[in-house]
Amino acid sequence: MSEQVEHLIRKEYAAGFHTAIDTDTLPPGLNEDVVRFISAKKNEPEWLLEWRLQAFRAWLEMDEPNWAQLNYKAPDYQSISYFSSPKSMEDRPQSLDEVDPKLLETYEKLGIPLHEQEMLAGVAMDVVFDSVSVVTTFREKLSEAGVIFCSISEAVEKYPALVQKHLGSVVPQKDNYFAALNSAVFSDGSFVYIPKGVRCPMELSTYFRINEQNTGQFERTLIVAEEGSHVSYLEGCTAPMRDENQLHAAVVELVANDNAEIKYSTVQNWYPGDEDGKGGIYNFVTKRGVCHTRAKISWTQVETGSAVTWKYPSCVLRGDHSVGEFYSVALTNNYQQADTGTKMIHIGKNTRSTIISKGISAGKSQNTYRGLVRMNPGADGARNYTQCDSLLIGDRCGAHTFPYIESKNPSAVIEHEATTSKVSDDQMFLCQQRGLDPEKAVSMIVNGFCREVFKELPMEFAVEAGKLLEVSLEGSVG
Amino acid sequence: MGVLQARVLELAAIQNAPAWLSDLRYQGGERFAAASWPTRRTENWKYTSLAALAKKDVAAAHAESVEFNDLAMIDADAYRLVFINGVFSEKHSDALPPQVTTFAAASEEQITVVQRHLGRLADSSEHLFAALSQSVLEQGVLIHVAAGQCLDKPIYLLNYSAGKQACLASTRNLVVLEEGAQAEVFEQFNSDGDEQSNLVASQTEVVIGNNAKFKHYRLNLEREGITHAGGVFVELGRDALYSGFALTKGAVLIRNDYVLTHRGSGAHVELNGVYLPRGKQVVDYHTNIQHCVPHCTSSEVFRGIIGDQAKAVFNGRIHIHQDAQKTLAELSNKNLLTSNKAEVDTKPELEIYADDVRCAHGATVAQLNDESLYYLQSRGIDREQAQIMMSFGFINELIQSVENSDVVEFLMPILADQFGRKESLLQMEADALESL
Amino acid sequence: MLRIENLCARVEEKEILKGLNLHVKPGEVHAIMGPNGAGKSTLGSVLAGREAFEVTAGSVAFQGKDLLDLDVEARAHLGLFLAFQYPVEIPGVSNMEFLKSSVDAVRKARGKSDLSSVEFMKLAREASKKVKLDQAFLKRGVNEGFSGGEKKRNEILQMMLLEPSLCILDETDSGLDIDALQTVADGVNAMRSPDRSFVVVTHYQRLLDYIVPDYVHVLAGGKIVKSGDKSLAKELEAKGYSWLDGEVA
Ligand SMILES: Nc1ncnc2c1ncn2[C@@H]1O[C@H](COP(=O)(O)OP(=O)(O)O)[C@@H](O)[C@H]1O
Ligand SMILES: [Mg+2]
Repeated sequence: MSEQVEHLIRKEYAAGFHTAIDTDTLPPGLNEDVVRFISAKKNEPEWLLEWRLQAFRAWLEMDEPNWAQLNYKAPDYQSISYFSSPKSMEDRPQSLDEVDPKLLETYEKLGIPLHEQEMLAGVAMDVVFDSVSVVTTFREKLSEAGVIFCSISEAVEKYPALVQKHLGSVVPQKDNYFAALNSAVFSDGSFVYIPKGVRCPMELSTYFRINEQNTGQFERTLIVAEEGSHVSYLEGCTAPMRDENQLHAAVVELVANDNAEIKYSTVQNWYPGDEDGKGGIYNFVTKRGVCHTRAKISWTQVETGSAVTWKYPSCVLRGDHSVGEFYSVALTNNYQQADTGTKMIHIGKNTRSTIISKGISAGKSQNTYRGLVRMNPGADGARNYTQCDSLLIGDRCGAHTFPYIESKNPSAVIEHEATTSKVSDDQMFLCQQRGLDPEKAVSMIVNGFCREVFKELPMEFAVEAGKLLEVSLEGSVG
Repeated sequence: MGVLQARVLELAAIQNAPAWLSDLRYQGGERFAAASWPTRRTENWKYTSLAALAKKDVAAAHAESVEFNDLAMIDADAYRLVFINGVFSEKHSDALPPQVTTFAAASEEQITVVQRHLGRLADSSEHLFAALSQSVLEQGVLIHVAAGQCLDKPIYLLNYSAGKQACLASTRNLVVLEEGAQAEVFEQFNSDGDEQSNLVASQTEVVIGNNAKFKHYRLNLEREGITHAGGVFVELGRDALYSGFALTKGAVLIRNDYVLTHRGSGAHVELNGVYLPRGKQVVDYHTNIQHCVPHCTSSEVFRGIIGDQAKAVFNGRIHIHQDAQKTLAELSNKNLLTSNKAEVDTKPELEIYADDVRCAHGATVAQLNDESLYYLQSRGIDREQAQIMMSFGFINELIQSVENSDVVEFLMPILADQFGRKESLLQMEADALESL
Repeated sequence: MLRIENLCARVEEKEILKGLNLHVKPGEVHAIMGPNGAGKSTLGSVLAGREAFEVTAGSVAFQGKDLLDLDVEARAHLGLFLAFQYPVEIPGVSNMEFLKSSVDAVRKARGKSDLSSVEFMKLAREASKKVKLDQAFLKRGVNEGFSGGEKKRNEILQMMLLEPSLCILDETDSGLDIDALQTVADGVNAMRSPDRSFVVVTHYQRLLDYIVPDYVHVLAGGKIVKSGDKSLAKELEAKGYSWLDGEVA
């Protein structure tokens, strides 16, 4: 292979720097005191501490799930620090000007120029750095529209009734092992509230960053869209390169009330580990939304990072005529492992769901689609369409498809299709004959393979996602 | 330990079997005793509960005297072997060709073949039901066809459950086809009334040598009360062919595991199946096609119509190992629910470790096509009749692909009965088939 | 025989037929021509009673009965036959079973007893010879894997067996070569009789050289915009449909 490609193979994870700033970090270990400490640190009300403790006690009784097509050494939950906050955050900044310049520099490096964003893109952003939300931009403009967009800690303080009503309403504390852990120790995350009939005037966005060594990140996102409202939300994630595996166990809850629409897009680029499989983020995430009558939730994800991904953004289609969508690109390279997919639970009549999943496996990676489509007895006239395609690059990787299809309604229609293919010699030959180098050819073919999903992403993200795939595939063409 | 597990161990201790089977029998018993009983969290049993089976009490297999006056049988020129409650009935069986023997009558040479293969594919440490039948191992058939030979007639294995008492009717069949050999086997399961509640444990192992061909029909026609713990385990050599057809009407529980492993390149598996549970019946097919070597192909189609409060489970796995480049594998599973209390759970699975392969699977749960119903109605056929015709058509597509016309003719009236179709139409079809 | 008055119909919220009138007397052959998308097939679907098509106004009397009141199969029993533009494939349902079921159903509605299989097979064979469809097709699934031409022949075969009083042929000529066209036309002509009427929908004048109509109508924009005798078809052929643009409201 060409020197250029050689060079590319050695190219480093671009987001893998570490920012040297003073932090306030809890020593590793997990017990009730840690839970109390986190809660106290955040001045939480009694109910929330109680809620966390319930989750913690449940977690102690639970076993780490092992049904996924994943092979990793379970994290030692006692060697993780459950709270890390940049020191300068002790007094929260009220605006960007008050933010530690080093932090801002970090985001510049990540390609998130906050100042510019503020002026140009019109994307409102919440930034979560290790465990703590650093800054939320565009507050005034949003509050004019009645939209609340702030860190979840702030929401607990300012809108306790809203938080108490919805927190855990979609993903209960004891939902699963990682959700229980998150419920016990979540440190921060984003909160979004869109009032009745409001169309959120701009895209909302959160960037997550794990910075400190030996810390876990346990953020919690809650989005409530009231009747007839509309919001599009983006999240992005990165982490520095470290030899140890770091844990990320997030929970995202979406509530779409009657006629509301939530579009949730993720570009996940956590550190995937090096080419020998050393280091990288363990990404164990529970994402779920509830749709009431005629509501719609659309999940779009581009997953290129993490050493291990365990993630099933889901829709509970409770209301009649509600709609769930899941568009996913999951790319694994080197020793990465992903077990990801969705669940579509059809409860209401005439509910509809669409699942488009594109898995790309390269190197020695394992990439699994796991999905559930369930038609409950009351789901008259419900429809599901699922298309899962896998692309294999190289003969050392694996691509797997495990769809669970359950129907208890004779008028429901489910269609599931899956295919597997490789980048064919003919395709490569054609591209090369037309003067493209192999890397470029593969990335073009892969981008084409993912087109159906990319077109669901907001414009700026679609471009970014395409580039990300290109970078993630480096070194995969032999 | 549940009632069944305990009882089976008691039965395992009663030693009637030929001495040369005792090691296997002992191994089976040990493994069955050690097995942890599946729960809903056991992936292989996620949708089928064995809670009731755990509590089932069964007696030792005992012969009943039975007259088959009105039992429908395949009208084919075949060597027939009849097992009643798992016990070989010489009275009902034909004289056997030299390639076929019951375990009890096996020669030294045949014993060696059985000992070499039995339990090798039906791995009792992995398959609960293989352990179950192995722990009471006694009755069974060996079909061993030498290189280049072709059995002159099909072998017809008829398993019949009879009598008031529920017993454990266990049979093990072993088919070994040497290089270039050919054979065809019918397996048919019946019971003598809805009350009959045997636990039928029947596993068939098939070793298909290089270039050998095997055709296999497994028809579960038992009535309501039966629990069937079935399995078919197949190994294919180079350029070997397995062509299988499975059909189940449904009972308390009919579970069949098909495990087919490609060991030689150029081999092909063709497996089609139909399930038609009604009432409160449960049918569960788990198929698993293992592509271990390059250049093999497999094609699998299962269709089901699930009525009343019945439930169907289908799990179709295709596993492509790292060396299995140039594999072509396809699986399709289509389901029709005809009642709002019926349930289907289907899971087509792909596990792929080789890149230069073409694999696809599809699964649907749907209704009859409106456009087609309209077409039939526009020709004067009323809606209900049109629905019956189309439901039948949905299954008939697979029946028509069955190669053996004796089997097709045998199945047609059974299916007609199932669908409440007009007998006259059948007659006409039969006439027409002849006149064309 | 057939009286269509001010028929308006829509599909998926879209108005297609906008006040169509047509009277057909026993024994007559009417040709309906018109540009693509004019609503010709829609007319056939509405008459045959396809569910997706909703009649919003107007009336249709057939054999003195209110046609719009009847189920799809009841219309067939009454003697209405639609040869589809795109006959659907029904895999698994054998053509023979299908034909026998429909013949029996229609006979029953007319107070006749079921045919014996032997009688039926005789009829079916004769008919399949007439439309030059190999008998092997009787054994296959309904239209399953048939070519375009074979499907059309199968439609004519059904028409022969069901002996309807009104035959609506929806572009039965499209996609046929000259030989096939001749076969289809022969089939139709052989069935012409004083008490059987035909509505022949076609895009091309060509078919009308073989099946000579008593009347020719032009359907455009959801209604009949011009009627005449067979010379109208020739005129259309020469001048194209744009010639009629002025007539479309
Ligand atoms: N099932 C349907 N759903 C929606 N639109 C339809 C449907 N069938 C026909 N149409 C529309 O109705 C119009 C008339 O179609 P059709 O009757 O098929 O025309 P013609 O047969 O004269 O070519 C066209 O615009 C067509 O697109
Ligand atoms: Mg048309």
